[in-house]
Amino acid sequence: MEAPARYGPLRSVLSGIASLGKGLWITLSYMFRAPITVQYPEQRVVLPLRFRGRLVMPIDPEKGSTRCTACVRCVRICPNHSIDVVKDTGPDGAPLSKPAKYLYNLGTCMFCNLCVEVCPFFALVMSDEHELATTDRKGLVLDLVTEKHHLTGKKAVWWQRKFRGLEPED
Amino acid sequence: MGGFLYDLFYNTDRLLNGWSTAAHQSWAARGWPPVILDGLLQLAWAVAAGVFLTVNALFIIWFERKVAARIQIRRGPNRVGPWGLLQTLADTGKMLIKEDIVPDAADRAVFRAAPLLVLVSTFMLFVVLPFGKGLVPADLNVGLVYFLAIGGLSVIGILAGGWASNNKYSLMGGMRSAAQIVSYEVPAVLTVLSVALLAGSLKLGDIVRAQPAYGYVLLQPIGFLLFLTASNAEINRGPFDLPEADSELVSGFLTEYSGMRFAFFLLAEYTNLFLSGAFAATLFLGGWRGPLLPPVAWFLLKSYFVVFLLIWVRWTFPRLRVDHLMELSWKVLLPLALANLLVTAVLVKVL
Repeated sequence: MEAPARYGPLRSVLSGIASLGKGLWITLSYMFRAPITVQYPEQRVVLPLRFRGRLVMPIDPEKGSTRCTACVRCVRICPNHSIDVVKDTGPDGAPLSKPAKYLYNLGTCMFCNLCVEVCPFFALVMSDEHELATTDRKGLVLDLVTEKHHLTGKKAVWWQRKFRGLEPED
Repeated sequence: MGGFLYDLFYNTDRLLNGWSTAAHQSWAARGWPPVILDGLLQLAWAVAAGVFLTVNALFIIWFERKVAARIQIRRGPNRVGPWGLLQTLADTGKMLIKEDIVPDAADRAVFRAAPLLVLVSTFMLFVVLPFGKGLVPADLNVGLVYFLAIGGLSVIGILAGGWASNNKYSLMGGMRSAAQIVSYEVPAVLTVLSVALLAGSLKLGDIVRAQPAYGYVLLQPIGFLLFLTASNAEINRGPFDLPEADSELVSGFLTEYSGMRFAFFLLAEYTNLFLSGAFAATLFLGGWRGPLLPPVAWFLLKSYFVVFLLIWVRWTFPRLRVDHLMELSWKVLLPLALANLLVTAVLVKVL
């Protein structure tokens, strides 16, 4: 407990006590602030626009279907191989540029957003859904085509402005 | 009935003495030896103290969590029961049904006895604690000496726990605790001595009665601060929690303890916190004396006020380094306590 050279022992003790008092004053003043805690299941915060919840493939209201062309760029860029695409086929058996199944594995997804960024057709969006627990591992693999997700709210507006070229790229 | 209720709260000593003599008389009328009745009465005190000790510890843990939360702008426990009051009860229930783990390399007997040793020394302090007028199991005429002597006993349990765990963290925690408690006992004793000088008695009841209405805190401001600091260090809390120092020693002497034995240590720790507050209130804040409210209410209010001060300090200051801790005791607190004692002694003699 070497005091700084400019202080004598008495000064250093007094300044030490003063600084202890200062610390106590600060914690006391904090005690009278309103808690900033959000009581989670009952109260919820408004999530930011770019919040990365689970992946969805929203229905484009103008097309009435998803914007996906089954180009599998997302499959190739995914670091964990969390995405599998099965191409749709026409009546003659020739593959169509549209997915029959879009299998998204929540268990391995790390929410890196690379699939969303690489998609040239803005078919993918990271949604606000974040309560993703399941009781069965099979429940972690979702088919994004059959679920026919509809985006709502601010995120929908943002997404539509993006694929209309009104929003700068992230 | 109003008279009985008034007596129950304000003249507890008269009521208790009346009951005690009546019981003794009817006991003697049957020709039974009075030793057995005395034993039974003491057992009643012990049970009352045990119940109080448990409920009090449950409350203080909740209280500390709430205060800590408010200091960190949080809410603290608020799910179990109103305002989260039953949270500690739920935690205790969980701890009691946990597996009782004793490490293979541990000294089994000592390992098992250590939590009890700590708790017993804490429990024994309730013998001299005056909760209200006459509400004290035994107002010994060496009450102050008893308090200091028994209070220092807990170090044996902590050291035993640290040693018996056969774990280097536990051992270091136990050793640190021993060094710390022994070092801080000295300034604590010297400060308490100046209170004894002022009151002219070692009996806690007399010390309470000898205090002016505002308590000894105004006559002994330095003494009060020294006592708070020293007793805070003796109960291994606040900025002096080196024996448990999580960041260095995992949990110190508690490392190998789990379940019920851990709960016992925790019970002893929080009861010690209350006892520090209670003895500070008794020695410096006028104990159970105060206007209007019943003595017990005053005593509890003052004790919990000091407990609040200690909690506030704990959640404000960072932990001291080991050598700083020793220097604070021997180089700062001890000279201050000696000077305080000297000045008090001279003033008591002169005035």
